[in-house]
Amino acid sequence: MGSLKLENVCMSFGRVNVLDDIDLEVQDGEFVIFVGPSGCGKSTLLRIIAGLEDPTSGCVRIDGDDVTLTPPAERGVAMVFQSYALYPHLTVRGNMGIGLKQAGLPQDEIREHVAEASRMLSLDEYLDRRPAELSGGQRQRVAIGRAIVRKPKLFLFDEPLSNLDAALRVHTRLEIARLHRELKATIIYVTHDQVEAMTLGDRIVVLNEGRIEQIGTPMELYRNPVNLFVAGFVGSPQMNFIDAARVGYPDADKIGIRPEHISVDPGKGDWEGTVVHAEHLGPDTMLYLQSDQAGLVTVRLFGEQYFKTGQTLYMTPQPERLFRFDAKGAVLGRVPEAA
Amino acid sequence: MARRSSRKRPIRWHIGVFLAPATVIYTAVMILPLLGTLHLALFREVDREQVFVGLDNFSTLLGDPRWSASFWNAFRNNIWFFVIHMLVQNPVGILLAAVLSSPRLRLRTFYRTAIFVPTILSFVIVGFTWKLILSPLWGIAPYFLDFVGLKSLFAPWLGKEQYALTTLSLISVWQFVGIPMMLIYAALLSIPDGVLEAAEIDGITGMSQFWRIKLPLILPSIGIISILTFIGNFNAFDLVYTSQGAMAAPNFSTDILGTFLYRTFFGFQLQLGDPHMGAAIASMMFLIILSGVCFYLVAVQRRLVRYQF
Repeated sequence: MGSLKLENVCMSFGRVNVLDDIDLEVQDGEFVIFVGPSGCGKSTLLRIIAGLEDPTSGCVRIDGDDVTLTPPAERGVAMVFQSYALYPHLTVRGNMGIGLKQAGLPQDEIREHVAEASRMLSLDEYLDRRPAELSGGQRQRVAIGRAIVRKPKLFLFDEPLSNLDAALRVHTRLEIARLHRELKATIIYVTHDQVEAMTLGDRIVVLNEGRIEQIGTPMELYRNPVNLFVAGFVGSPQMNFIDAARVGYPDADKIGIRPEHISVDPGKGDWEGTVVHAEHLGPDTMLYLQSDQAGLVTVRLFGEQYFKTGQTLYMTPQPERLFRFDAKGAVLGRVPEAA
Repeated sequence: MARRSSRKRPIRWHIGVFLAPATVIYTAVMILPLLGTLHLALFREVDREQVFVGLDNFSTLLGDPRWSASFWNAFRNNIWFFVIHMLVQNPVGILLAAVLSSPRLRLRTFYRTAIFVPTILSFVIVGFTWKLILSPLWGIAPYFLDFVGLKSLFAPWLGKEQYALTTLSLISVWQFVGIPMMLIYAALLSIPDGVLEAAEIDGITGMSQFWRIKLPLILPSIGIISILTFIGNFNAFDLVYTSQGAMAAPNFSTDILGTFLYRTFFGFQLQLGDPHMGAAIASMMFLIILSGVCFYLVAVQRRLVRYQF
C-alpha cells in the first residue's frame, strides 16, 4: 500500500512562490523521481509530502486520506536525507530501532525488524558502531535501513547520493533499485542528477521554477519532451538548440537536435562546420563543431573516431529526431521531413 | 660531516617568540602567586620573623577546634552553595535554552538579552539590590506578597540562619543563569536540522525528542557548565561580602571559603590578619578545586563524547 496524490499544492515563502499549483498522482509501488535544477522546488515538494513543511494551499493524500495537516510520524512515510541525519549518539542498531521504540513496539519485535533491514543492507557487522565510525556509504545505508524498519507506505529520498563519491554512487544506485524491487515500495526520489533520474525512475517529474514541466517515463522525456526546458534538461550532453531561421525552418523559433542524432561526413551534409575540439571518452567521441549556419554544435559519435582540429566536416541531423520550438519554448511537433 | 652540519635545522626562534607573551603573563599573574601562596602557607611569623613550620598551619586549620569548626562550616556552606547551583541554575538554564530554541517563540532576542543582563552586572549592584528587595523594612518583596495575599509567607530570608545561605545561592543563580542558558542554547543550535527532522519523521517529538535526541547531544556542554559552576562556586566571595558583609551574617551561616579566607588573611574587626593561615586556607581551596577538576577530567569527561555531525 502506498499511493500518493497531490492536489493543487502551492507553497510560498512570503511573496516568493516556490511551488505553483502542483498536481501529481503516484501509484502504489511506483518509483517516481523529482528532477530539476537547484531552486526548482523539488526538495520543498518532498518536504511537503513528508509533512516537514505545510503547503500554503492544496492537499496531500496518502492512500486516499487527506494528510495535509497530519504530523510527519503519522503519515507512514520514511525519509532518507542527503546529510544522512543519523543520530550521532546512537549505534547503528539504535538509529534503526529508535522509531519503533518510540512507537512502543516490544523489544524482540524491534530486534527482528532491525535484523531484517541490516541483512538486506549488509550492515550486520556494523550494528554496534556509532555513525562517526562509519564511512559515507555505510551511513547512507543506515539511513536507508532506518527508513526500511518502519515499513512505511512511502519512501522519500532527498538527494541521497549526492554526498557519495562516483563509484559508491553507482553502487548505491543499484542497491536502491534492488530495494525497490524487493520491497515493492512506493518511492519518491529527489535528485538533480539526470543519470540517477533516467536509471532509477519508473516515471520522472521534471520541475522548473515551482512548476511541473513534464511527467513521463524516462524514454518518453527523452523522445518526446514537451518544451525547450525538458529537452535541454534530459540527455547528456545537452541537446543542441539552433536558431531556426538560420537553418531554414521559418515556422519555428528554435530547433533542437540531440548530439547523438547528428551524423558527420567529410564530403557532404546539411551544415558545414569546423572541428574546434574533440573529447575522447572511449565508448563515445564528442565533437564540437563551429558552423556559420548553426553556431556551435555538439556531435556525439559512437566509438573512437579521430578528426583534426580545424578540419571541415558536414553535419546531417536525423530529420525524425529534430524538434521545433516556438518562441515560448513549446514543442511545435516533430519535423516530419526536412523542409 | 660538513654536509650533515649544513643540513642541521635552523633554531626555530619563532616558537619561543610566539609562546613568550602568554607564558610571561600567565606566569606572572597565575603561577607565581600560586607558588607564593603555597610557600607562604608553610611559614609562620614568630617574633617578627618568618619561620618554616612545614604543614603546621594546615594541622592547625584542620585540628584546632575553633579553626576547624570555621573551616568545615565554610566548606559545608560552600557545598550547599554548589548544590543549589547544580540543582537550580543548570536545570533552569537548560529549560530556558530549550524554550529559546523553540522556533515558535517570538521576541527571542529580547528574552535572551534580558536573562543574560544580570550576569554582566556587578556583584555589588546585585547584592545590594536584592538586599533592598528582600528587606523586611523597606523591601518590595513583602509589599508584593501582600499584594497577592501571601504576606504570611514572607520571612526575612537574608536575615535568618536557616534561610540565608539558600537565599543567597538563589540570588547567585538568578545572576548567573544566563551562562548555562547561552552555552546550552548554542549547543542546541548546533544540532543539525536534519537530525531533528529525522526525529520528527520517526515520531520522536516534543518531550521525548528532548530526552532522547537533544539531551544526549548537549551532555558535553552540561559537563563543561558543571565544572565551570564548581570552580566559580568554590572561588565565590563577592556576593556574600557585598550583601552579608565579611562576617557572613547571620552568625556565619553564609560563610563560604572565600569569605573565610578574606577574614583570615586581611583580618576583620577584632580578628587580626594572618597571611600564613590565610595562605593555608587559599591552598586548601586550591586543592579542593584541583581535586574536583581532576575528578571531572578523569571520571566524567572521558565518558562524554563530543559528536560530530
